[in-house]
Amino acid sequence: MRSKRFEALEARPIKKDGFVKEWPEVGLIAMNSDLDPKPSIKVEDGKIVEMDGKKRDDFDMLDQFIADHAIHIEDAEEAMAIPSIDIANKLVDIHVPRKDIIKITTAVTPAKMTEVLGYMSVLEMMMAQNKMRARLMPSNQCHVTNVKDNMVQIAADAAEAAIRGFDEQETTVGIARYAPFNALGIMVGANCGRPGILTQCSVEEATELDMGMRGFTAYAETISVYGTEQVFMDGDDTPYSKAFLASAYASRGLKMRFTSGSGSEVQMGYAEGHSMLYLEARCLYVTRGAGVQGTQNGSVSCVGVPAAVPGGIREILAENLLAACLDLECASSNDQTFTHSDLRRVARSLMQMVPGTDYICSGYSSTPNYDNMFAGSNWDAHDYDDWNVIQRDLRIDAGLQPITEDALVEARAKAARAIQGLFKGMGLPEITDEEVEAATYADGSKDMPDRDVVADLKAIEDMMNRGVTAVDFIKALDKEGFHDVAQSIFNIQYIKCAGDYLHTASKLSSDWEVISAVNYKNDYHGVGTGYQISEERWKQISDLPWADDPETI
Amino acid sequence: MTQEQMLEQIVKQVMASMSSGSAASAPSDDVKVTDADYPLGEKRPELITSATGIPLKELTLEKVLDGTLKAEDLRINPKTLELQAQVADSVGRDAFGINLRRAAELIAVPDARVLEIYNALRPYRSTKEELEAIADELETKYSAKVCAQLVREAAYIGYKRKRTKEFK
Repeated sequence: MRSKRFEALEARPIKKDGFVKEWPEVGLIAMNSDLDPKPSIKVEDGKIVEMDGKKRDDFDMLDQFIADHAIHIEDAEEAMAIPSIDIANKLVDIHVPRKDIIKITTAVTPAKMTEVLGYMSVLEMMMAQNKMRARLMPSNQCHVTNVKDNMVQIAADAAEAAIRGFDEQETTVGIARYAPFNALGIMVGANCGRPGILTQCSVEEATELDMGMRGFTAYAETISVYGTEQVFMDGDDTPYSKAFLASAYASRGLKMRFTSGSGSEVQMGYAEGHSMLYLEARCLYVTRGAGVQGTQNGSVSCVGVPAAVPGGIREILAENLLAACLDLECASSNDQTFTHSDLRRVARSLMQMVPGTDYICSGYSSTPNYDNMFAGSNWDAHDYDDWNVIQRDLRIDAGLQPITEDALVEARAKAARAIQGLFKGMGLPEITDEEVEAATYADGSKDMPDRDVVADLKAIEDMMNRGVTAVDFIKALDKEGFHDVAQSIFNIQYIKCAGDYLHTASKLSSDWEVISAVNYKNDYHGVGTGYQISEERWKQISDLPWADDPETI
Repeated sequence: MTQEQMLEQIVKQVMASMSSGSAASAPSDDVKVTDADYPLGEKRPELITSATGIPLKELTLEKVLDGTLKAEDLRINPKTLELQAQVADSVGRDAFGINLRRAAELIAVPDARVLEIYNALRPYRSTKEELEAIADELETKYSAKVCAQLVREAAYIGYKRKRTKEFK
């Protein structure tokens, strides 16, 4: 006979999630693996000749790159001599400021940082994350996509996402050749919502760089790095090619960050018997060595792997914290869906929502999940009110705020009309009034009429062959009467020319002020210090439009 | 063309001819900036010109609309990247500063060549000798010393680890 209790529990969503027991020999272990290298360093004539138990002559490409570029050699022997538990304690200790810790953490090896984090509980790591985040205030990023690659809907969703609080927005494609239209949709739409939103379009690397150079986008983040040499090869790159690519982006005035995450190596079959955290540490040291300002990490699209093993969600927090310890901007994942359980998806995200990271999600799906072309997100447009209430309940700033229906309609309508005008001004296939109205009131692409895809793709090819740039977008928007939007697209080019936003953890205010870890350093040193929610901000977060007013009852 | 536009055109051409040929060189040695000058676009705009030599403050929407400014006039100048590298140094971000200096060097390299070099650096694409030739080209043709150094390192370790074309 079956237990009715057990039958009830078997029907719960959590039972559909996959779980697996640890298997350290193939890398199926989150952290604290006995098989990870023991920390060590030896410096001779200003060169690292031994690192984490390996002699220089035996270094693979990652070891060599890390040893030569990612570690402050002059402080290395001293920093490595500090017991790992002492470094862990400094991370939690409110009396030790961020800058003192950075001096240590950027002078030690990947195995050393893996050992340091291995001592820490999630609570201690959250305390450390609050202090170690590069930028004073946290922020948030979203995805804006749909299954039809409808750029009018992208523009409207981006505008709504902007007024809801996302400072960075990312799109991608269903059909690869749609990329330029999607990039235009998100850039124009987001900046209709509020001026100063940075946008990107995640596609194949050469195309992404080309679109960035022409002014279709303002930044890039899908430049992947991996924790073992073999997986790097399978990804068709080396640390050196990726470092060169990073410089190529900056040379064209584009902000960029690398992407990495635990689980990718074991998923690709070459974890070399190391824990997920140790391999992610190698990724982050490569990122730092390449001189990239930041990372998107926290398992990202491989989240199912760490989430399946014991302590996996702790490990994800550890890798985000490690990014901050290496003085990198951290866009901390909380994107790809990994569980059927609503309880579990909230618990996973609290690790970053409570302490705050530079970008808590990378991305939050600004559409219903069926329209998310990044394989679904842990959070989507239907969760907006839940996210807002969690912020209000806990008195935390996780980047968003509630809005009214009127504000939503106004922002979406403006964006849809602006992209309609841009298309008209540039002689691109017509966007009809019917499409504008549908996008204004839509929830998802099921509410959108179909476009003539063949005509769109042909127009895109012609447009790209004409060599259009941001200058053409600006002129077209102005000609069709969208002067303020033209001004915003111009301002993005101006910001690129000044280069300030290339710096660590940058974002732009609606007055086009560059806010980064240079002019807004995280100075947390105890209760009541660091980022504090202002009265005005608290009003935004706490003022739920649908809350009852005691005076009217 | 109005008189004002014509004047601008002349100034632009003069500035462009001054900066050409020395595109990858460092800015004048007397100017050093730190995080106190940041954001440079706001606090030290007088130090910044576009790639074609137009002062930052003269980049305006109006001039884009009337055709005075072209897309290339909105591109970043290598000197600006050097200044931003100094800001990075001042807050202890040395590796980031080196990346910005490599970037400054790459401004002189045409888009297509940048992408070719990137592809050449990928696994099994080039022999050790071919990579060394690229390093020489970067150094002699574009004065891109920091980039050349990176490519030489890639040639050395790539060959040693059997990840260059010889071992395909």
